[in-house]
Amino acid sequence: MNRPGMLIPALTTLAAILLTVMPMPDALAAWRPHWVALVMIYWHLETGNLRSLGTAFAIGIALDLTTGTLLGQNALGLVIINFLVGRFRNRLRFFPPWQQALAVGALLINERVVQLWIIGLLERGWPDWSWWLPPVTGMLLWPWLFLLLDALRSQRRLVR
Amino acid sequence: MFYSLLAISLMALDYRGQYVERFRTVASHLVEPIFWAIELPFSSAERIAGSWRDRAETRNRIAELELEIAKARAHLGRLADLESENAQLRTLLDTARRTDQEFIAAELASIDLDPFAHRILVRRGRGDGIRPGMPVIDSRGVLGQVDRVLVGMSQVILISDPDHALPVQILPSGERTIAYGSGSLDRLRLTDLPMNAQVDPGDMVVTSGIGGRFPPGLPVARIGSVQRQPGQAFATAFAAPLSAMDRNRLVLIIKIAAQTGQDASSEQASEQATPESDPATGQPMEDEAATRPPEGGDAGVAPPVEDENP
Repeated sequence: MNRPGMLIPALTTLAAILLTVMPMPDALAAWRPHWVALVMIYWHLETGNLRSLGTAFAIGIALDLTTGTLLGQNALGLVIINFLVGRFRNRLRFFPPWQQALAVGALLINERVVQLWIIGLLERGWPDWSWWLPPVTGMLLWPWLFLLLDALRSQRRLVR
Repeated sequence: MFYSLLAISLMALDYRGQYVERFRTVASHLVEPIFWAIELPFSSAERIAGSWRDRAETRNRIAELELEIAKARAHLGRLADLESENAQLRTLLDTARRTDQEFIAAELASIDLDPFAHRILVRRGRGDGIRPGMPVIDSRGVLGQVDRVLVGMSQVILISDPDHALPVQILPSGERTIAYGSGSLDRLRLTDLPMNAQVDPGDMVVTSGIGGRFPPGLPVARIGSVQRQPGQAFATAFAAPLSAMDRNRLVLIIKIAAQTGQDASSEQASEQATPESDPATGQPMEDEAATRPPEGGDAGVAPPVEDENP
């Protein structure tokens, strides 16, 4: 991938981090999807831009610093997601977006389980059922996000 | 695989504290622009809404606030009286004088941190004289203390964080213990209480001032339940914090000016701990009185901040 190809993934990842700490009404806050993971999965699947585990790690650390979690907590989650995506990339790519959504949902739930272990080990309180809402929102949002990012990417291609 | 190991070891180091603290502090400054990027639309929206607000509405609001200040002043006047009386009694008893407190009012930043991190961001930073370790209260009780100071913002660790320990005193009985965070916003854990301690649900928990970081007598929580398990050496109590952890907009950061300045006052603070706690009977009354100034201070300090905004 050449230089300009990296610009949009970087910008969208930054936007995802912003969305993660953006204040939301209390009723919706529990539904906030894992934006960064969704964006990262998209770029990995479609262009292979954020493919390396090191990138996932760096993004995770940035996210940890922004959200105030333990350093490495989100990094671990994202590294695991990126590893799994890399493993199944060839299979996932040929699914239509709505079928991909199921796989993405599974990835997000898996990440949630990892986070749950960490929080449990730290004795930071046990989350209630709303803990499992973000993967659901992520799954529902995936097709739309996919189309949006696809549009962004193709527009860029036309300009170039 | 290398990276997940790296992440795990990093987490362990961060959990154990101090090892990566230096890195965290430096790196936090790097993400501060992100906070400002989110803050900007919100704070400017507030400003625009403020300037568009109707004249009459503003006037009503001013009148309302003035009334409130007058009430608070009246309240404070009574307190000043009590304070001088208290000082007299203290000189009679030959104990250390209470140090005066200075407050910095701080607004909460419009940023949602991870709910399991037990941290909040406030819009005051190094430039405003905030230093790590300063106690943070709201109008109802102790909220936490400043953890990390950035240029224009600082991160506050809440008393509900499992890593946070706060030296407290339970009021009618004068029992001293430590309140640990339990990981949920509505519960603190008070351990190491003697089995025969007179602690009942509904009792008030205030800071004891031991350790010197928090001034004594700030309200913290109310006891919810007490567990005395047979076979255990100590009883455990659970308390509900009084401060509105995740619901308030304005918090106060206590500047302990006297403590950083001269060493004479820090001597006073350490002296304070011992003679004060001996007369268990006289203690509750004094502390009840001492809990008030922060609340009065709230009304007194808040207006300047309101002025800055429009």
